[in-house]
Parts: sequence; structure tokens; C-alpha cells
Amino acid sequence: MSELSTPQAGDDHAEDTDVVSLLMRQHGDIRNLFDEVEACTGEERRDAFRRLVRLLAVHETAEEEVVHPFSRRALPGGEQVVADRLAEERAAKETLSALEDLDPGDPKFMPQLMRLRTDVQEHARAEERYEFTHIRRSTDVTNLAAMAKAVKAAEAMAPTRPHPGVESGAANMTLGPVAALMDRTRDAVRKAMGKDG
Amino acid sequence: MTFNPLEQRGIPLDRQLRSWRELDVKPIDPDRCDPYTRCRIITMNGIEVEAIMFSHQLARNTVDPEVKRQLARVRYIEAQQQKVVNWLLPGVSSVLETTIAYEQVAVDLTAWVARMEPDPYLQQAYQFGVLEDFDHLYRYANLYEMIEHRKAESIVDGLTEVMPGRPTKFHHRDPVDNVRDPYAKDETNPLSKLHALTIMSAEQQTMNFYMNTGPTYMEPIARQLYQEIGLIEEEHVTHYESLVDPGETWWEQLVNHEYNECYLYYSFMEQESDPKVKAIWELHLNMELEHLHHACDLMRRHDGREPESVLAPELPNVLTFEPNKGYLRELLDTQMDLTTLGAGYVREAHERFEQMQEQIHGGEQPPSERVMAEHGAMFGREYRLQTEGEHPDPSQREK
Repeated sequence: MSELSTPQAGDDHAEDTDVVSLLMRQHGDIRNLFDEVEACTGEERRDAFRRLVRLLAVHETAEEEVVHPFSRRALPGGEQVVADRLAEERAAKETLSALEDLDPGDPKFMPQLMRLRTDVQEHARAEERYEFTHIRRSTDVTNLAAMAKAVKAAEAMAPTRPHPGVESGAANMTLGPVAALMDRTRDAVRKAMGKDG
Repeated sequence: MTFNPLEQRGIPLDRQLRSWRELDVKPIDPDRCDPYTRCRIITMNGIEVEAIMFSHQLARNTVDPEVKRQLARVRYIEAQQQKVVNWLLPGVSSVLETTIAYEQVAVDLTAWVARMEPDPYLQQAYQFGVLEDFDHLYRYANLYEMIEHRKAESIVDGLTEVMPGRPTKFHHRDPVDNVRDPYAKDETNPLSKLHALTIMSAEQQTMNFYMNTGPTYMEPIARQLYQEIGLIEEEHVTHYESLVDPGETWWEQLVNHEYNECYLYYSFMEQESDPKVKAIWELHLNMELEHLHHACDLMRRHDGREPESVLAPELPNVLTFEPNKGYLRELLDTQMDLTTLGAGYVREAHERFEQMQEQIHGGEQPPSERVMAEHGAMFGREYRLQTEGEHPDPSQREK
């Protein structure tokens, strides 16, 4: 395996003026974190898992706040497309909350994680194919950029890489439980959307 | 153990039709499968697509309605085989992920065939081609990281290295220089016929795949890169198909096709690590044995010759998917700067080559160069997977 690591969306030098490209890169980031959790053990696995949970929470919240409402309004048959995606997200969240109660060292942890990985991956591809392509078709560059900005505001809520000088465990403590993180992400997104539009 | 398909009987043709339930195969797990299982699936899909299209062409050149009906019966079964094989690929994979797997096939299949090819002229044709697919893998891998933030090693799994080959921009040759000389059907080793058919089919399927899926991308650089590499795949089909002796009769070609399918299903059955996929290779081998017997009957009837006169007395060594890193590094070290002139190879950029280059590039950087520039702007580096150390050619090392 190579030593290279792919920076997460927001940390690369992409322009991020297109919400769809940004979310697709985040889908890759999420897959990378699943791989990382699987590949390491002990405290490292615990840390990688915490980062995965945070990224998932922020990503899904941003989609719920920014992308799905747009699809519901703007796409023909958008109601149903979004309802299907939300059902997938609900299923994933259930698996996720079951996982949160487990210690990464628990023998039940990995099988559950693999199930979540499959659910999340199928959900991500379904979004890309049945929702994102229509979003690009139904709106203009200004709106794609505005939505990208809102998603980036959400991202800022959860630094997903341990930053230098900050112990990741400690950073996580200050972020608090996932539900609270989702609430704060929602507020940040709404603020960004309000400002921009 | 030796295996002679001519002496084996398979499943009778009237018992080969499968129902929807049997066609509904469970796809492989894209992230946890043996990458070479996926390579075998992609290869056999290309082989089945060629079988179907060849049979259609033959039918269009056949007057006798009874023969047309016979061809239609076998072809329908082959169409079912293609569905089962290609439907082993999972829906959750993106087009780019499948593309990277196609290029892994092109690299490791062509490299293995080049290593085993007994005829030096044919061997050179494979050595020449493999360095181009090797470079395509590298370009697509960089595009993949840009669009999906994933690394190609999650697909090729360290079995195949990812780094520059012969730079893609130099693959655009004057079309007349893509035509090679054919082997002589009565003198060549029967194994050479199988090799040529296999690589031609694989490249043809790659060409089909890019020409159809390329425009499904929305990102301009992705659309352009598929266009560029798609055109090169056409050059490769021209290159490899011209190796086959055009003096082979239609019926002889049909026998070669069916025999090659037996050879490949047998080879893959012997190596397959996934038991469910292995069962499919075994089932299809048993179907192909009967297709081969039908083809042999047609050849006897129409050509008045025994198929044994054109086939190997027994199956050659199994065709194997395995890493070819050392061999590829040797080629990278010695054959990067080759191009073609007429049916041969030269090191200097000759006039016809230069003219084609000037016209197609129009004084600008082609997509295969721009993808690297865009990737560099995004990440400040390239994507490579060099498991065996630095690139053998110092000029191709990352700055």
C-alpha cells in the first residue's frame, strides 16, 4: 500500500463550487475512514471510528438540510426520491447507534461495522445516481455553489482530522455526543443558507 | 492432468437454457473480493461479447436458413452466459472503478500473454501494447482520486503497480501504422491463435465500454479523458485483430472461438478463489464443450476438414492472472520510447507519427496530460502505487 493519504474534502485544493462534486468526494472520504477503522486496532481503531461517526453525522445532516430539501422542491418526483434516501439513512442510523454502544474491541463490532459499510455505500451510490445527477440538471452554477458553501459550513463543525497540538480524544470530548453534533451542524447550515440565500 | 475439449462431452444444448431465477446471480463484493476474480469476470465478459458479435456477423454472411437457426440457438445461450458473467459485477461500483479494473485486466492479462507467447513477432505486439494500458491505468487512477477521493489501490490491491507507462499522448499514431502482420494459420503454434483472440476480445470490450460509458460523466476532464483513451482502444483493436490470419475460414474461426472459450473457462475454473464464481466457470465450461462440438460439425460439413487439423492436441497451460511487476518493469526500462512504423517498431518519431501528433493535439495538451495537471493542482502531488521501488526510467520519476 502506498504512504499517500487522500486529504478530506475541504482539505484538498478543489474549488468546491459544485455541491455534487463536493459530496461525492465526501462519499470517498467516508469509505476511506471505514477502511481505516478496519485496518487498525485498539486505541487507533477507537479514534478512527470516532472520526468516521463524526463525518457521517455531519455529512448526513448537511444532506438533509441542504440537498434533500432542494430535491424535494425542484425535481420531478423529488418527494419519492428523497423519501427513499431518508429510509436508507434511517436504516444506517440505526446500525450506527447500535455500533456506538459497542466497544471497537467487542467481537460483535466488526460484523456490525461491515454491515454499516455496505448500507452506507449503497445509499451513497443511490444518491449519486438518482438524486445528484438530477440536481446538476435542475439548477445553475450559482445555486450549486451556494449549496456547496452551506455543506462546507457544516463540515467546519467537525474537524475530522486530528489537528496538530490537539489530542483527538480531547477534541472529541468537546464535540460531545453525536445527536448534539447533528443539532449544531443543523444550526450552522441554516445560518449559512440564510446568509447566502 | 491434460484436458482435451474435443474428447469431452458437456451439457446437451437443449438443456442449457436458464430461467430468470438462474440468471439472477449474486454480485461480488467490490471492496472485499479477490481483484483477480473481478479480472476474470471482465475477461470472460469480453470473450462472450466477442462470441456473440462474431456469431451475428457469421449469421449475416450465411445463406442456409438451417445453419442460421443453429447459430441462433447457440448464440442465445452465449447471450445468457454473458448476462450471468457480467452481472457478477456489483451495481455499487462506479464507472471509474470498473474502468480501473478493466485496465488492471489489460495490464496483467496482456503481460502474462506476452510472457508465454512463443512467436517473437507476436510477443513484441503484446509487449508494445501493454505499456500503453499500463499508462491508462495511471491516468484513470489520478482521475479517480480527484472525483471520488479514493485510491486505485483499493481496487487493484497492490497486485498491479500504478505509475507512468508510455505516455498516453504518444499513443495517437497514424492509423495505417496500427496494422500489424498476421501469423500464418498453418505454421503458427495453436497457442498463439488463442492468445491473439483473447487479447483482441478484451481490448474490443474495453473499447465498447469506454465508448458507451464515457459520456455518462459530467466532469469535463472525465468526459475528455474517456474520449482520448477510447480512441486509443480502437487503435489497440486494430493492432491485435490484424495479428489474426485472415485466411482462416469462417468455420475455422468459429471453432477457434469456441475452443478458446473452453480454454479460458477451464483456466479460470482451475484458479478461482471464490467458490460461487468457480461454479459458474465450471458450468459454462460444460456448456462450451457442446458449443465446440457444434462448431466442429459445421467446420467438417462446410470446409470438409477435421477441426483437429487446426487445433492444439490438448489444452495449453492454463492462462493465469498473477502479478507481472518484474516483467513490466523490464519493459518500462527498455520499450518506453517505441512507436510503430508500418507493421514494425521504431524508436524515433518518424514523419507520419509527427504529423498525426500535430493534427490531433492541435498545439494543446491532451486530456491525459491535463488530468495530471488538474490532479496536481488539487493535491500537490500525483497518485502512484509503486510497491517495488522507484520507476525504472529516471525521467518518469515523480519530481
